[in-house]
Amino acid sequence: MTRHDPALLSAALSGAERAINQAILLAPTSHSALEALDGTLIGVEITSLELTLYLALAPGPEVRLLSHCEEKTATFVRGSLEDFAALMASEDPAATLINSGIELQGSSVSLIRLQQVISQMDIDWEAPLVERLGDVTGHQLAKALRSLFRWGEGARKSLKRQLSEYLLEEGRLTPPKLELEHFFDGVQSLSMRVEKVQVKVEKLLAKAAARRAR
Amino acid sequence: MNDDAIDTSNSDDSTDFGFSRVDRAAKAGLVREVFDSVASRYDLMNDLMSGGIHRLWKRFTIELSAARAGQTILDIAGGTGDLAAKFSRLVGPDGRVILADINAAMLEVGRDRLIDKGATGNIDVVQADAQWLPFEDGTIDCITIAFGLRNVTDKAMALRSMLRVLRPGGRLLVLEFSKPTSPLLAKIYDQYSFQVLPAMGKWITQDADSYRYLAESIRQHPDQETLLGLMEEAGFANVSYHNMTGGIVAVHRGFKA
Repeated sequence: MTRHDPALLSAALSGAERAINQAILLAPTSHSALEALDGTLIGVEITSLELTLYLALAPGPEVRLLSHCEEKTATFVRGSLEDFAALMASEDPAATLINSGIELQGSSVSLIRLQQVISQMDIDWEAPLVERLGDVTGHQLAKALRSLFRWGEGARKSLKRQLSEYLLEEGRLTPPKLELEHFFDGVQSLSMRVEKVQVKVEKLLAKAAARRAR
Repeated sequence: MNDDAIDTSNSDDSTDFGFSRVDRAAKAGLVREVFDSVASRYDLMNDLMSGGIHRLWKRFTIELSAARAGQTILDIAGGTGDLAAKFSRLVGPDGRVILADINAAMLEVGRDRLIDKGATGNIDVVQADAQWLPFEDGTIDCITIAFGLRNVTDKAMALRSMLRVLRPGGRLLVLEFSKPTSPLLAKIYDQYSFQVLPAMGKWITQDADSYRYLAESIRQHPDQETLLGLMEEAGFANVSYHNMTGGIVAVHRGFKA
């Protein structure tokens, strides 16, 4: 339970739930994957907002967001809002889950599966636009929006690539990934060798102490 | 909250009806007249009066019910059936929802709405008084009473009746107007209740008196701690409450041991 007014929380969850279920309706290709997750219950504690909520997948498929749940959750995750945003946007959710500050209790399978379904969701924005605005206007608007989204996605990828190139090549502010991995391997190997030497030194000291005692 | 207003015993022949005192036997009839008058536009008025927030209060109440497939849920004073329709989905075809109300006009509206929503297979509609629930002992998993307890003549008797029909481990949820926690909010709420609310009632249902009664009955209803005490006295265990919208509304939860 959270310290927030239940009515305010219900308002937020009700709005989010409606938006998610509307998006699911417009993405029929994701239905079978979501139906396979039917009965999944995931508890989420967002520490930065002092908020605990539960995400339940019901037949339909339909998502229910709850502020109170007494059923046992198979998966419970705890982290900051930034951690969860990074997980949702991640191309490799398993790696993000391990490397982020998110604490996980229970199984990660359903959480990773759900993240994959959401990230692969192909929402057909044209259907509601055509329904409301008619075939011609709806189609033209959907086409314009698709172009805009494509341009936005292209711009995002291009910016990411250029920023990465600048940091690596121009600014030399960060090392390349391979170099970094090689460095970490070296650090790990050195750490292991130091540990071995430490054990040997401790053994020699123990032997010396035993000789002195005789 | 005025303790004199909390009429739950049988020691007196009069009881509160808004700010008035009326004969105990007459209250149910007077309340019925109020709801006969507003039944057809009850949901519309609720939306207008609360700005739609009553749906959020009810949503949280449903979450607290922890209703599951196969359970039997009794919604007392269920009126127009909005809670019953949601419970119907949660308990599924193996469960059962009983929509009960003392007022036939409200039940008629509720039944029509449920038929329109296609929620009929697992819902029974029963005209019943909360003080004498016509159900066998220990047969109900969860009871909800949303914005109904304040209209009951003998609240303690109604609570005991609810405890009787609950299964051991079953729960009662009372969603009701309560006492705002902030004095400033209380003042604004008073102005709204006694000035705006009856005017809206007059405009929409041509019935300012019924909505004046609603505002008065809210003020006469026990506050959070008093209702908690009443539930404990009736025999409920682990009683707790959640304030909502600054305490304008509270939902109390108690269990049958």
